[in-house]
Amino acid sequence: MCGIAGILFKDFEATRRNLTAGQALINMLDGCQHRGPDSTGFALYRDSEEGLLRLRFFVGEGEGQAKALDKVRALLAEQGAEIVEEHVEGNTLRVQVRYEGDVQKFSYALEHAAKVFSVGSSLDIIKDIGGAHDVDERYDVQSFAGSHGIGHVRLATESDVNPEAAHPFWATGFADVAIVHNGQITNYWKMRRRLEKRGYEFNTDNDSELIAVYLADKLKQGVSLNDALKTSIDDLDGTFSFLVSTRDEIGFAKDRLAAKPMVKFEDENIIAIASEEVSLNKLFPGQALSTSEPPPGTYATWHR
Amino acid sequence: MAQIDLSALSVTEANNRIRQFGAEGEDVDVLNPDARHHIGVGLTHPITVRVHGSAGYFCAGLTDGPRFEIENNVGWGLADNMLGGLVVVNGNASAIAGVAIRGADVVVRGNVGSRAGQVMKEGTLCCAGSANFMAGYMMYGGRIIILGNSGERVGEDMTGGTIYVGGDVQTLGADAKVTDLPTDELDEIRAFLERYKIPFSGSLQKIVNAGQRLRYGSVEPRVRSIPFQSFSSGSDYWNQKVQEDVHIKAQIGRYRIRGYGAARPLPHIADIAFKRDLSRAGGDPEVVSKVKLATEIGGKHGATPLKLSMPITIAPMSYGALSKSTKVALAIASKLSGISENTGEGGMSDEQRDAADQLIYQCLSGRLGWSIHDMQRANGLEIYISQGAKPGLGGQLMAKKVTKEIARIRGIPEGIDLRSPSRHPDVLGADDLVIKVEEFREATGYKIPVSVKLGAGRVRDDIKIALKDGFDFVELDGLQGSTGAAGNEVLEFVGIPTLSAIQEALDALAEIDCAGQLEIILMGGVKDGIDAAKALALGANAVGIGTSAIIAGGCIACMQCHVGSCVVGIATQDPEHEKRYNTAVEAHNIHRFLEAMRWQLASIAAAHGYDDFRQFSRDDLAALTPEAAAITGLPYMPELRERSLSPALKVA
Repeated sequence: MCGIAGILFKDFEATRRNLTAGQALINMLDGCQHRGPDSTGFALYRDSEEGLLRLRFFVGEGEGQAKALDKVRALLAEQGAEIVEEHVEGNTLRVQVRYEGDVQKFSYALEHAAKVFSVGSSLDIIKDIGGAHDVDERYDVQSFAGSHGIGHVRLATESDVNPEAAHPFWATGFADVAIVHNGQITNYWKMRRRLEKRGYEFNTDNDSELIAVYLADKLKQGVSLNDALKTSIDDLDGTFSFLVSTRDEIGFAKDRLAAKPMVKFEDENIIAIASEEVSLNKLFPGQALSTSEPPPGTYATWHR
Repeated sequence: MAQIDLSALSVTEANNRIRQFGAEGEDVDVLNPDARHHIGVGLTHPITVRVHGSAGYFCAGLTDGPRFEIENNVGWGLADNMLGGLVVVNGNASAIAGVAIRGADVVVRGNVGSRAGQVMKEGTLCCAGSANFMAGYMMYGGRIIILGNSGERVGEDMTGGTIYVGGDVQTLGADAKVTDLPTDELDEIRAFLERYKIPFSGSLQKIVNAGQRLRYGSVEPRVRSIPFQSFSSGSDYWNQKVQEDVHIKAQIGRYRIRGYGAARPLPHIADIAFKRDLSRAGGDPEVVSKVKLATEIGGKHGATPLKLSMPITIAPMSYGALSKSTKVALAIASKLSGISENTGEGGMSDEQRDAADQLIYQCLSGRLGWSIHDMQRANGLEIYISQGAKPGLGGQLMAKKVTKEIARIRGIPEGIDLRSPSRHPDVLGADDLVIKVEEFREATGYKIPVSVKLGAGRVRDDIKIALKDGFDFVELDGLQGSTGAAGNEVLEFVGIPTLSAIQEALDALAEIDCAGQLEIILMGGVKDGIDAAKALALGANAVGIGTSAIIAGGCIACMQCHVGSCVVGIATQDPEHEKRYNTAVEAHNIHRFLEAMRWQLASIAAAHGYDDFRQFSRDDLAALTPEAAAITGLPYMPELRERSLSPALKVA
């Protein structure tokens, strides 16, 4: 129940525009905010030093925050992660830690005791209630100058409006994999049970998290993102248009019935994908763009 | 030539100006459209609108007469339900281009997305490039010309019309076939293409309906009417109704279609009761003037609300399922009693519009008989998602009722067993529905309330979506609701009871802290003023009555509405049968029944010491059965059972 957007600057250094990836996504999501005015989220990437991990925790606001912060700090210490940098932003805590161990185990341990939005060497998921500009105001999304990212606007139809239910979803346990999804996966429980049997944990009951974990599992097995998207079209039932991002790639997949919209624009410098053309036009105001709609049952990836 | 710059104006403001220029006969240039939605929606003047760039969803939708030229691409639902005029798109069109058009020429120079021309009735949709899958899905008439390739399942379940494909046909849809293309037809198409300067020298394949699925092989045999009590008691396992069902299926060899609703015992409104002893209620002849029953529904977003003299409406029933005389009688009665009538599926007739004071116009998936002109003269709009008697399915109208006249109004071939689509072409999720609702508001200047009709299935989810999508009110319809035709199994076993529906709806709204923020008209087996009072006390804002209104107007409840030979002239389109219906007399019968409901409501309120029906609350109610207590959460008070059987307040 939502709108999605993704962008990748192909040769980042050479073709960087005046626009940051953060600003590009803000503009695109603002363009399709009518599809989901309740909350807005971004998955953005910025490289870190070797051996450092970026984490973002939901810590709430007001009275409970100090307590939540202490808990996260204690938790990180307990796991042997050394905090290099930390900032409280909105109702989240953004930290960089030095951690050399197994990311999946580390993530699960964190998940059990705290609310984790994202973990990765470069991934940072920012999501909160309100529109794209509201979230930018609180988290300074526009300063994210990475090479790519994806974003989402949510219409909260199943649950209350809260930041934790917002997208993007991180592939719990897998560094740097994020997803935004428009649609509904109907074989959710079947697929989830299958993945749980293999030891994976789920942080929510949201079907978008399932897609993220499904893809991350494939990547872990050494399958390319492109091939993982290919099998997802067979393995997932329901209606979906989704975007996935990893440290170096973005990709999309679209179900066979094309029940959910998706439009893309590509030139030598960028690839931009969104639920509606109106988002793409936000990047190029006043221009008649040569766009295309991915056919039903198709997928593709782009490398930065 | 006027200019409108969308970088400086909202679409709503732009559309207002476009309509103004339309009235003055001046053409319009739209600058910086940047793929925004709803450009030109609701325009009914023959001016030219040039869109300099891309347009978003529903460009040129709900229009009659104008010419649109779009320089670049368009989003979903190009020319939605356009009655006449012309649209030329130089770029590509997204999904459902030309959806439900009824006479316009829609030309796309690039490619078109999936389901192009879905449920179209008349006119031409021409695509110079290639089409994605299911072009002509459920089309009823008109022609689609695709010069390039066409994707999977071309003409899926088309019932009328023609599809011409110049390139490869990936696969044919169900009940579609390739047939010979006569030379004169090809010449006509070439002339059309020449008119729009589209070069084409190749040949075309012609695809039409194969005629395998238009009608049921055998029709249901006529049966003798069985008294309701003899099959609804539940104890006799092989009762007459069960036997009848077996006999009919033994003859037709498929699922059985019948009229009316569920006929098995289920928890219903009669299973809850007022705690207060009402045996002495109703003695005051002046009671109606002492209790405030008037209410308004649908004003929450600033539209002109329905003004009801009491919290009762006439439920949607189609002209098609019912005769025109019956629809007019319902309209007259609604006016006499100061409440609203509803068109149901299949369009609005002038007679019905003139007779009713307040008329809700129902929009269904097939867009049968839908038009911008009728939208603009309605007092409320209703997007039908489903109904209590058959949640998840579209309307059904058997061949005998699909007369020449009904077929003309609905824009479908005559004499088919009509099965309306089960879903809207342009609503595949709550996000699409937001854009659809907005289109309706744009087309009617934000003046008319827009509601949604929900058949009770997954009410908990659906009601939240209805709230989030900005509807002005909901018509919530439970399993006990009736219909003109549906599969027996569907009627009996698919929906959930009306009592559960309202409770789930109220719980769901409370769950997201939005209790009271969405007005609910409850329907589905509300039979009189007592049921209505209980529904209001439970938390509904008003009720809708269908079956009891037509029974008041002469229906004998034989459950054979589907046959089309209704002996009292209600559920028929046969003029000989319709003659038996005396509109003026029945209108007054229905009116008197409505007034009896008013008296019941007022009497029950007064007996509680209330002078306004809004004072009813759940505290007034108790459950008579454990099932009803479990469903509603009301206190279980079996000791009230005896009393509820007393005849006080029952109408004859």
